[in-house]
Amino acid sequence: MTELLEIENLSVRFPVRKKGAGWGGKTYLTAVDSVNFTVRKGETLAIVGESGSGKTTAALAIARLVTGETTGQVRLEGKDILPLQQEQLKAMRRKVQVIFQDPYSSLNPRQRAEDIVREPLDSLTGKSASEKAAIVDELFAAVGLRPEQKRLFPHQFSGGQRQRIGIARALSTRPEVIICDEPVSALDVAVQAQILNLLRRLQADFGLTYLFISHDLGVVQHMCDSVAVMYMGKIVEHADRIALFSNPQHPYTEALLSAVPSVDAKRREETRRILIPGDPPDPLNLPKGCRFASRCPIAEPRCSESEPPLKQAGNGGMVACHLREAG
Amino acid sequence: MTDQTTEPTVKAQSPLSEAWDMFRRNHAAMAGLVVLCCIVLGAIFGPYLYPGKPFEMAWAPFSPPGADGFLLGTDYLGRDLLAQIIHGARVTLIIGLSAAIVTVVIGVTIGAMAGFYGGIVEEALMRFTEFFQVLPTLLFSMVIVALFGASLPMITLAIGLVSWTAVARITRAEFLRIRELEYVMASRASGASGRKLMFRVILPNALPPIIVQSALMVGSAILFEAGLSFLGLTDPNVISWGQIIGSNRQYILESSFTVTIPGLAIFITVLAISLVGDGLNDALNPRLRQR
Repeated sequence: MTELLEIENLSVRFPVRKKGAGWGGKTYLTAVDSVNFTVRKGETLAIVGESGSGKTTAALAIARLVTGETTGQVRLEGKDILPLQQEQLKAMRRKVQVIFQDPYSSLNPRQRAEDIVREPLDSLTGKSASEKAAIVDELFAAVGLRPEQKRLFPHQFSGGQRQRIGIARALSTRPEVIICDEPVSALDVAVQAQILNLLRRLQADFGLTYLFISHDLGVVQHMCDSVAVMYMGKIVEHADRIALFSNPQHPYTEALLSAVPSVDAKRREETRRILIPGDPPDPLNLPKGCRFASRCPIAEPRCSESEPPLKQAGNGGMVACHLREAG
Repeated sequence: MTDQTTEPTVKAQSPLSEAWDMFRRNHAAMAGLVVLCCIVLGAIFGPYLYPGKPFEMAWAPFSPPGADGFLLGTDYLGRDLLAQIIHGARVTLIIGLSAAIVTVVIGVTIGAMAGFYGGIVEEALMRFTEFFQVLPTLLFSMVIVALFGASLPMITLAIGLVSWTAVARITRAEFLRIRELEYVMASRASGASGRKLMFRVILPNALPPIIVQSALMVGSAILFEAGLSFLGLTDPNVISWGQIIGSNRQYILESSFTVTIPGLAIFITVLAISLVGDGLNDALNPRLRQR
């Protein structure tokens, strides 16, 4: 398996007007801070983290959809996509598509379902009308929608059906990579399972690579090959799914996993919930050391002094913690 | 298959026909629409059906409504008031409509650019809008009419120039809201150009409040024209309802009907337009529709 997507030192920052600084007083909010990871072809990498951890911003930066200042490199098949413009950008958009979080706001209410699915073909390809119609028909079948539903408007579909339209749209240009930005978190649980199964089936059928953004560890465990945990714009742990779930290294990952509710009373007894006190630090005024130090149950003085780099960890993955060294 | 949907077939109904269904159920709005249609038809065909000439002296001045065969009486020069109302309807409606169009063209262009581009463009355009907002509207339009003459296009332009700011602000607000929605980002991910995003994706979704506002704008333009006419700032050779009120204003105490009747005509028209505008607001508002 080859590396399809390589992300190197990706940072995204947004200019923010400073309070009380008057005209031109600007500061930056760094939403994603020097993030590195790779995704192999045909695999699913999950990025998990709490709200505001930068996971969605990172994913949208890879799809060239953020407005903030983006630095670093995002290599798709070895080629950096961040500087691309015009035709090359269109070529890249054909290969990278996005499934959005909220199926109620991600479909244009004034377009019919077939027009929504066809939009990427209209803007990104030079296919003839009949070719496009054939592709739309094929995709409707692939995502489990009936042909007569093509003429309907988004508000005439249920949440799950809307997300199927969103998935068909993302598939229309036959992309290599699909960025799934919390694709099921707005759906109810029964529908979540249907959509997740659909995504897995499509991954096999179309040979897709997923970058799967989620905060739901249950969903992640079901979907992914490897997991990257983000906290305050940094990746704190990146490991294979099994290694991460059975042997988490970073104290933040441990706390996250301990928070997953269990119906099994015995397991509930065994796993003590690790509480994280306090709030995340102010993103405009980040601490100098480890960003998790102020809430970490096992922090030492050196944690607030220097920032831990991402290094090899005991479970075969990478971890950014002074206290968890390989060996 | 676990991922097949099984839902009953739904009829493909466009948002437009759904809005019409909603509008039809609103009795006040339908009443307004019927009245408005009558007024428009009367303005178009009335002059051919009713033989009276609006500028000719037909009978003794101030003959009251109903007397001597004149349904609405005669004014201070003995002109047939009904003929004046019928002929004035055209000018009144044309001014109302075209001033609203001027308003929408200026307002939507400026509001859309401000809302879409943001940053320095928005800053500059909104300061420009505020400049027009703080001008005293009646005085400003009086200056325009006084400087460039009281022709119909100039009056239309004067009214449009003082009232586009509301449309600009609404358009900008809608653009600011919609450009953050996921379907706009989805369109960008699908490779849509900036122009396509602005006109084909955002603008159609921003239209409902703009349509409502411009319907109400027709009403306020009619009132504005009446105000200008009352002050004698419009062309005395072009008859409009406001102009009838203006020319008869000296005799308001002796024979009030000469002022009341055109006043009522304006009142009914503006009320009908407001009812229609209000009905449009409910019909085009998706949140209300889902109830």
